[in-house]
Amino acid sequence: MSQEVQVIQSLDAEGLSVQSVSLWNITWHRLLRRKSAIVGMIILGIMVFIALTAQWLAPYSPTRSMLDVDGYPVRPEKRKSPCIHAFGCPQDQPQHIMGLDGNARDEFSRILYGARLSLMVGLLTVSFAIVIGTVLGALGGYFGGWIDNTIMRVMDVLLAFPSLLLAIAIVTVLGPGLQNALLAIGIVSIPAYARVVRASVLSVREMEYVSATRALGGDALQILFRRILPNALTPLIVQGTLGIATAILDAAALSFLGLGAQPPTPEWGAMLGAERNQVFTAPHLVFLPGIAIALTVLSFNLLGDGLRDALDPRLAHVS
Amino acid sequence: MKRNLFVLLSLLVIASVLTACGGAPATATEAPPVVTEPPTEEPATEEPTEAATEAPATEAPSTYEGLLVEAPDCEYGGEIRSIEAVDEFTVKFNLCVPDPAFPSKIAFSSFAIQPQEHLEATEGRPLENPIGTGPYMVESWERGNQLVFTRFDDYWGEPALNQTLVFRWSTESAQRLLELQSGTVDAIDNPGPDDFETIEADENLQLIPREALSIFYIGFNNNPTAEGFDNSTNPLANEQVRQAIAMGIDRSRIVDNFYPPGSAVASHFTPCSIPNGCVGEEWYEFDVEAAQALLAEAGYPDGFETVINYRDVVRGYLPDPNVVAQDIQAQLQENLNITANIEVMESGAFLDAADSGQLTGIHLLGWGADYPDQTNFLGYHFGAGSSDQFGDKFDDIVEAIEAGAQLASDDERAPHYEAANNAIKQHVPMIPVAWGGSGVAYKAAVEGAHASPLGNESFAVTGIPGQDTFVWMQNAEPISLYCADETDGESLRACEQVTQSLLGYEIGGTAVEPALAESYEPNEDLTEWTFHLRQGVLFHDGSTLDANDVVTSLSVQWDAAHPLHTGNTGGFTYWSGLFGPFLNAPPQ
Repeated sequence: MSQEVQVIQSLDAEGLSVQSVSLWNITWHRLLRRKSAIVGMIILGIMVFIALTAQWLAPYSPTRSMLDVDGYPVRPEKRKSPCIHAFGCPQDQPQHIMGLDGNARDEFSRILYGARLSLMVGLLTVSFAIVIGTVLGALGGYFGGWIDNTIMRVMDVLLAFPSLLLAIAIVTVLGPGLQNALLAIGIVSIPAYARVVRASVLSVREMEYVSATRALGGDALQILFRRILPNALTPLIVQGTLGIATAILDAAALSFLGLGAQPPTPEWGAMLGAERNQVFTAPHLVFLPGIAIALTVLSFNLLGDGLRDALDPRLAHVS
Repeated sequence: MKRNLFVLLSLLVIASVLTACGGAPATATEAPPVVTEPPTEEPATEEPTEAATEAPATEAPSTYEGLLVEAPDCEYGGEIRSIEAVDEFTVKFNLCVPDPAFPSKIAFSSFAIQPQEHLEATEGRPLENPIGTGPYMVESWERGNQLVFTRFDDYWGEPALNQTLVFRWSTESAQRLLELQSGTVDAIDNPGPDDFETIEADENLQLIPREALSIFYIGFNNNPTAEGFDNSTNPLANEQVRQAIAMGIDRSRIVDNFYPPGSAVASHFTPCSIPNGCVGEEWYEFDVEAAQALLAEAGYPDGFETVINYRDVVRGYLPDPNVVAQDIQAQLQENLNITANIEVMESGAFLDAADSGQLTGIHLLGWGADYPDQTNFLGYHFGAGSSDQFGDKFDDIVEAIEAGAQLASDDERAPHYEAANNAIKQHVPMIPVAWGGSGVAYKAAVEGAHASPLGNESFAVTGIPGQDTFVWMQNAEPISLYCADETDGESLRACEQVTQSLLGYEIGGTAVEPALAESYEPNEDLTEWTFHLRQGVLFHDGSTLDANDVVTSLSVQWDAAHPLHTGNTGGFTYWSGLFGPFLNAPPQ
């Protein structure tokens, strides 16, 4: 008897962490065997690097109009096509490798700063949604009964609306702006996480080690957060990684509609929206931010897919 | 069982909570937005109501009972003293003050004539089914999609060239051009400034430039009526701050970079081709140092924070709203350290907020000429009857404008408008930025292609031989088709195909010419105008135009206590802008 207690105590002290480290090791190795996941990680790595070093990489301020730069040898034109010296653009013209936008701002600098914004949007909204969603889902799944019913029906109501429409409605009430857009996207993403966590909690709740902890007199919160949730983490990571992609897309969509980032913020969706009428006259202004959005979203999707496969023990033999 | 009951119960609770949340705004919108609704029980001002009776005119020789609507005196502040149907085909206006611009004003499409019976039948709100005398009549209006007109075969003038006229709209200039290039529409309004060259180079298309009879300005409200707004801390209430901004914005940078050919930096509010338009001192030179010094003197050496409100709607005066707004934002930040947050508003809401003086920061708006007279520019914006858009009025501006408006010859009016322009430069209720040139693009095969400086292209004279239907694409959907109560050019253009006023403007020009009235004559001091109606003019419903239709169509706008003074919002902005306060206006 005393031996068992000791074992459980030692598990309590370090067993979980030892086990999780090995799980991550396995996952990491499985992940490295998937080419698509590696591509995703590389793109994402580049994006993160750009986001962190934008102020050193960008040749100009993202909000500075070239129209008021003194000593410009040639009068700058708005929506100028890219000028790259290496590709034959005359040396007397200042280099703008992605051209100028409608307000004669350096498009390249804006795209670089946009990476910072988009990654931030993705991480913040998903963190917010995961925290709230996890708490709600865990409470519902663990306690069941009316708590579960109330929480999950509210989640069902949220899920019943198309997410972008709901986000638009929330932003309309709160007023346009990046912060409100973040909040709106965060709110509409909550149900997905709540459901994932609840499902995991339901399946883990009846396991023997949980019953054992309960028998040993652990209180509900301790069991929930120390015994159950760590085991429900896996699907959450996958859902979260894929969710970042959706969040970035939603934020870009809101900004495109003028409800997200407000000018002159260099947000990709807003940049795309501002120049949408120039798709024939200045296509680079429409396609470059679009490509940036697509790459970022793609990187998260590839990574998320890879993680899902890597974390799924049933697919262990496949890899 | 218990569980199911519980689910049902919780769903019910959620449903009721949702309805409660959703219900609140719904009830709020139910409240009538009409501010000028006439008091039904007790007239606010008793005297004028009693006097403004609609009595049969006694002097009518025949059995025709002509209507007479008159103000007891001119105390109410407006321009009109009475409107009278003298006989079946004669209408007489008595004015409180001489008005040489009266024919120009009365020709405007807000003062179009509809049958008295129709106004009564629609309770003063023929918003989607106007009945006019024009070459086209409304066939159907699919909201959000298209507006279809058919030819009116009993039209008194030259019949329309097309059996069917279709109005479509798109806010995106790229889409408009694409539709024109692909041939699904026959003409488009306001091609994007960057597309002018493309259209000129395309042999299947023709570009008709529109004369720059418009002004784009940066407006300030010196005393906003917005609820809870504390004007004592409003930097824009300070004249020096407004002057500093006027000096600190490089207007030629905006015009050079963002406006199509044919545009010019505005030296005054009114374009020079309007008589007495650009008299008086020219606008401030761009001078950053002087501007910063003035701003510091006004107590804002480190700038301040404000908002820029505008609507994302392309107009001839503002071809690329977002880009221009961001350039102004950048200049304010760069030159004066003023942080201006951009807040784009829905078009209708923006105009309402501007007119009622609720915009608290800087707003970007413009104006296209309705008729070529200073009363339509300075008078409408800064005169006695102007809205609260710029806050408290400036006495010296108002006096100069009102004095000028009453004189007949351009030479006599010049000194007054010069004084008005100088006073505007001093007080800076707004910064005139650009006289915006724009254009209309047609298919090359279109005959009668024209661009009107007043923005009222007539599609009765444009057409492609051998083609029954003409499709026009403009920037936006009309708000309603009762243009007595609309100010938006996109609505007015649609109305102008259907309804007509006593006089009209020449096609593609600004000269006033006869329309429903064959002729008119003023008395010597320009206070009494008599119009002789064209006989045998039929409305689209088959009824005949007579003088009472004219009196009713106009008096419902003029008399705020009239039971048919309802309209779309009840604002009737053009009437008050052109003719001053309403008769029987409810006390403020």
